[in-house]
Amino acid sequence: MSEPLLSVRGLARHFPLYAPGVRRRVAGVSKAVDDVSFELASGESLGLVGESGSGKTTTARCILRAMDPTAGEVLFRLPDGRRVDLAKLSSGELKPIRQHAQMIFQDPFSSLNPRMTVRDIVGEPLVIHRVARGAELDARVSEILQRVGLKPEHRSRYPHAFSGGQRQRIGIARALIMRPSLIVCDEATSALDVSVQAQVLDLLQELQREFRLTYLFVTHNLDVVRGFCDRVAVMRKGRIVELASTTEIFSAPQHPYTKILLSAVPSPDPDLPMNFNIGEELARLDAMTS
Amino acid sequence: MNFSAGIEFFVNRARMAAPRFVGLAKMSDPTPSVSAQASSPLLEVKNLRVSFFTRDGVVGAVQNVSFAIGRGRTLALVGESGCGKSVTASSLLRLVQPPGRILGGRILLRSRREGEIDIAHLDEKSGLLFKVRGGLVSMIFQEPMTALSPVHTVGSQVDEAILVHQDVSPAAARRLTLDMLQRVGIADATQRYHQYPHELSGGLRQRVVIAMALVCRPELLIADEPTTALDVTIQAQILGLIRTLQREIGFAVLLITHDFGVVAQMADDVAVMRHGEIVERGTVRGVLKHPEQAYTRTLLDALPSRRYAARAALMRRVDGE
Repeated sequence: MSEPLLSVRGLARHFPLYAPGVRRRVAGVSKAVDDVSFELASGESLGLVGESGSGKTTTARCILRAMDPTAGEVLFRLPDGRRVDLAKLSSGELKPIRQHAQMIFQDPFSSLNPRMTVRDIVGEPLVIHRVARGAELDARVSEILQRVGLKPEHRSRYPHAFSGGQRQRIGIARALIMRPSLIVCDEATSALDVSVQAQVLDLLQELQREFRLTYLFVTHNLDVVRGFCDRVAVMRKGRIVELASTTEIFSAPQHPYTKILLSAVPSPDPDLPMNFNIGEELARLDAMTS
Repeated sequence: MNFSAGIEFFVNRARMAAPRFVGLAKMSDPTPSVSAQASSPLLEVKNLRVSFFTRDGVVGAVQNVSFAIGRGRTLALVGESGCGKSVTASSLLRLVQPPGRILGGRILLRSRREGEIDIAHLDEKSGLLFKVRGGLVSMIFQEPMTALSPVHTVGSQVDEAILVHQDVSPAAARRLTLDMLQRVGIADATQRYHQYPHELSGGLRQRVVIAMALVCRPELLIADEPTTALDVTIQAQILGLIRTLQREIGFAVLLITHDFGVVAQMADDVAVMRHGEIVERGTVRGVLKHPEQAYTRTLLDALPSRRYAARAALMRRVDGE
């Protein structure tokens, strides 16, 4: 049991930068993800936080092979105990493994096909992996819809008939229907109102206990991480600058960047003033590190 | 000379002779004088009602909403999506589009430059409404990309805002633009002037939008979720920028947000909206620390975490170093 569900070692994803002009001449390389390593124990929630452009989403995508990493390995433990390197497998070999690792997306409006009914959206993974069809598929869709707080009769409706929070529940149902062990949440609650966000987070936590899920929670919202994750990895410029337990990150951050990031969060307590001079401090940090 | 004209003559003399009579003069004078305005709030919204007449029925988006903002003050309007906060904001500029309609109420803007204006009752084609929009009251939006034209350089867009409202030459407008771009913290303004919005980062775009909004020195700035689309570090910088410019230029801010953190850090007063009505109103400290309404408490409790303790510990640590 001590063996991690997922271990990422030296993960990198580089993008070529082209020089201006008609000829595509590679002028440099952008290191979106550079030497990222971490481990994820079964049943754990790891928060991956950072600003836009820090490489957190690219990391998540490389892990699920929505994107091919440039280097590194992504060792994933299958339910039967085998360990596979997701970074090396061909797409054909990946397909049966994909059911064990699913993703929940940020925007519940663009991640659901408006021309498919909820039954088709949520049941599509079952069809793709040829697990169920017909009446059995219907039954499983109804079951999972109930589990995420929707009604079975919502099956025949289209996404536009649902609110943002309900759509996110549909997205969760679609991810859960294959009973995955790993779920990557890419800004899963960022588009929602606070009260709806709280409900969705509660649901994710309930489901985690029930299905023994492991979450990789990608977000820019430190506040969400704090109530949700066991450990937090702070990313900046493609690297993890600090990885520690949530309590340590918030009560005793070690890296200067983590401290700056925390001080930028506006506190709902008017007596705890936030730091408006972030720009200067970041510039100072850059000067120090370069 | 008839009787009332005679009184007016003496009142005017008294006004010129001794400023302390001004308050007295106001009582008999139906048009408010400039100095009498200083004590009354810049913006006063009274019983504003906005409804949307849709095929499925009438939706009362804003129902009898009243609030006031003093000069140089910041009022935050908070609530969940659909509570009517953005409709309230857009009705201040008469931007509510059909099937929406302002049904009643008053929106009194006591402008230093133009006197008292009831925006709710201005004619759609009046020159005064034109002056209000972008001149006396300007607005910044959540998503800077949609507020900027993708086919014009950012410089020309700020120029346009000046040329529409001020009687200056294009060369003078350009100088004003460059000056404003620098003031909102855009380092290489002369170079940025010629760039298109897509060449700028989200934070820089929002700075351009702020420059556009402030270049005509408005008396009221409506900020509709100005930092919701931005990273925390960029958000901190943009909020800091709005605060600094507010102190320098002296405009009042109506801040529309759903983030209680932003409210606590930016506003003097807060109004909580729900289903088109203001359910609670007061000073920021009063409402956030001792909310009276159950709904406000629910919203505050929904914050993913109460981070007071850890932040306090962090502050102690930083102070101790």
